[in-house]
Amino acid sequence: MKLGVFVSDFKLTTDTLDRLKADKLGIILVMNGVYHAAVKESGKSSALLDKTANLYALSEDMQTRGIKDSDVDKRVKVVNYGDIVDIMFNEYDKIAWL
Amino acid sequence: MGDVKLAFIVQKPQYKGETSRLAITHAIAYQTVEILLDDGDTVTPTLCFTGEGVLGLQNGQKAMDLYGITSTETHFKNSLLVDLDVLICKEDLARYGIPENAIPDAEDMGADKKVKIVPFSEIQKAVEESKHVLFF
Amino acid sequence: MGILTIGCFPGLIGNMSYDFALKLAEAAVNKGHKVNIWFSGNATGSIKAHQKHLKDYSTGEKYLKALLEKGVEICTCEACTVARGIQKTEGIEKIQWNAMHWYLAKIHASDRVLQIGGE
Repeated sequence: MKLGVFVSDFKLTTDTLDRLKADKLGIILVMNGVYHAAVKESGKSSALLDKTANLYALSEDMQTRGIKDSDVDKRVKVVNYGDIVDIMFNEYDKIAWL
Repeated sequence: MGDVKLAFIVQKPQYKGETSRLAITHAIAYQTVEILLDDGDTVTPTLCFTGEGVLGLQNGQKAMDLYGITSTETHFKNSLLVDLDVLICKEDLARYGIPENAIPDAEDMGADKKVKIVPFSEIQKAVEESKHVLFF
Repeated sequence: MGILTIGCFPGLIGNMSYDFALKLAEAAVNKGHKVNIWFSGNATGSIKAHQKHLKDYSTGEKYLKALLEKGVEICTCEACTVARGIQKTEGIEKIQWNAMHWYLAKIHASDRVLQIGGE
């Protein structure tokens, strides 16, 4: 199963995400989820970034919140809406919103 | 196209938000979807409750008496009445201290279908076997 | 090209999940995909016509009309909508009204589904 997961909150229960197993997992950070890409709480990057190598953050939602590309963890690819459409159709066969 | 399997994952508690209840009613709608599909096409949802989604399923709900709204218990029973597969995560019931016998069946409404209290691995299987997964 | 169906449950005002759903729909249709949008829950309040766009609030109407013009099919849950006091005559033209099975029927033919739950 190739599962793409939209994460739209910063503080959230990733309970189900933690337990779901996927052959390929992608995490797409949108809305307040983009803080996972940039904020280091008590100096530590978000644990969400350790879940997979396939990490994306929506540029529009970063810019809306004053987050610059240079603030983003190097593991995260910054994408736009069009890129997200391509990611949904080409990289994953199931899509979830948390 | 035949049958399309869906996994409905309810992971939020009932009542404060509407989403968890809408998961149940949307799943129940599978019963009438054929009027909009070609002959032989069907949709089969599996309704799965995980995490905090297992909260608000217990027997004895009085939402109608107190707030004038249909209880989740009634919606839940209706899902069994229309023969939906309903899976509840065993580990999460245990985590929140909810005894398995607190989960209603719909025998009083004439339903043969029983809820299945299953390990999370069974819910994972339902997700894998579905074409689409919908989180509520 | 594929078919994307978006289930949108959050309200127009109060958070931006709704705005996200519409922007994603626009991006998908601009790439040539067929897009369906199902409104349920608080999202159904957004189908009322004659919305005044105050800049402190998101607006749905002009974006919905633009999506409809591009061929996006948009449907509101009739029960959710009338429960919020909105009658069909007050709705934005060309938005469909139907029951929950509309959403399931669109999902049946879809390549991708994004269910955005409510708040």
